[in-house]
Amino acid sequence: MVERRSLAEQVTLLDLVDRVLNKGVVVTGDVTLSVADVDLVYVGLRLLLASAATLEREAAR
Amino acid sequence: MIEAPAGTAWYVYGVAEDDPTLARLEGVELIRDSGLTAVVRAVPLEEYDEAALPERLNDRDWLERNARAHEDVLQEVAAVTAVVPLRFGAIYRSRDQVLGMLDERAGEFRSTLERVRGHVELGVKAWVDLPSLERTLGGDEVAAGSAGAAYLQRRRQEQERSRQATARCAELAEEAHRRLSEVAVAAVANRPQPRELTGRTEAMVLNGAYLVRSGDDLLRLEVERLGKEHSSDGVEYELTGPWPPHNFAEERT
Repeated sequence: MVERRSLAEQVTLLDLVDRVLNKGVVVTGDVTLSVADVDLVYVGLRLLLASAATLEREAAR
Repeated sequence: MIEAPAGTAWYVYGVAEDDPTLARLEGVELIRDSGLTAVVRAVPLEEYDEAALPERLNDRDWLERNARAHEDVLQEVAAVTAVVPLRFGAIYRSRDQVLGMLDERAGEFRSTLERVRGHVELGVKAWVDLPSLERTLGGDEVAAGSAGAAYLQRRRQEQERSRQATARCAELAEEAHRRLSEVAVAAVANRPQPRELTGRTEAMVLNGAYLVRSGDDLLRLEVERLGKEHSSDGVEYELTGPWPPHNFAEERT
């Protein structure tokens, strides 16, 4: 059993993606996706751009 | 609820041990079969349409909202009973299809539940400040001589120092993972997150996940010890969790 922690607690998006999208049991859903088949480079690239934008904003301050 | 409303489908977050307390969870439905409970929610089909998915995954807000929802549900379930986290995006049109999946994978789910029951996952990351680490490696003073020769020698020394720093990082990460594995039931060393994504100046050299008994303090103490011992090398440790056992959900191969 997991000790309860606040759900609002900040977990970085990267840590979430690391676990929620990259780990866990893969089952074959009957509708659409198996995210396992989606190249996570897509996600990676977008995150990359997003974090670069954040850095730029911070640098501009 | 037996079937998902029109235009929606069942998104399965995880498979839990049957527990009457699960019925108190809000915003989710339970699909039960012989001691196993699929924790599900009706989601709009169009959001998870195969064609739209790469676009959705690239939408940071959508991704973050749904990844957090996935994690939140698993944490709520894990607070109540043992759970096998499923990977993001397991979707079924009908209750029967969820039951079919439970039935087909029942043996695997049961053995994983057995393994993770009473345990939590903790994450440990090690960050290295490379300039600090390189300073600890020292190096020879540049010998006097012609400007050109001194320059070449300096370049060689820099390259040598950087090679040594890389080797030292690997050594530190390996030592940390070994020591943390000794106080864990199971351990996984994942690929460190690249600096381009973390946005930090320090380099991540360890991205480990450890399965420990719930309430066991040994791993946290070992992380503190490592932090003290390695601080002079420019290494900082970061502990995350407790997480549901994402990294220990698959059958070990």
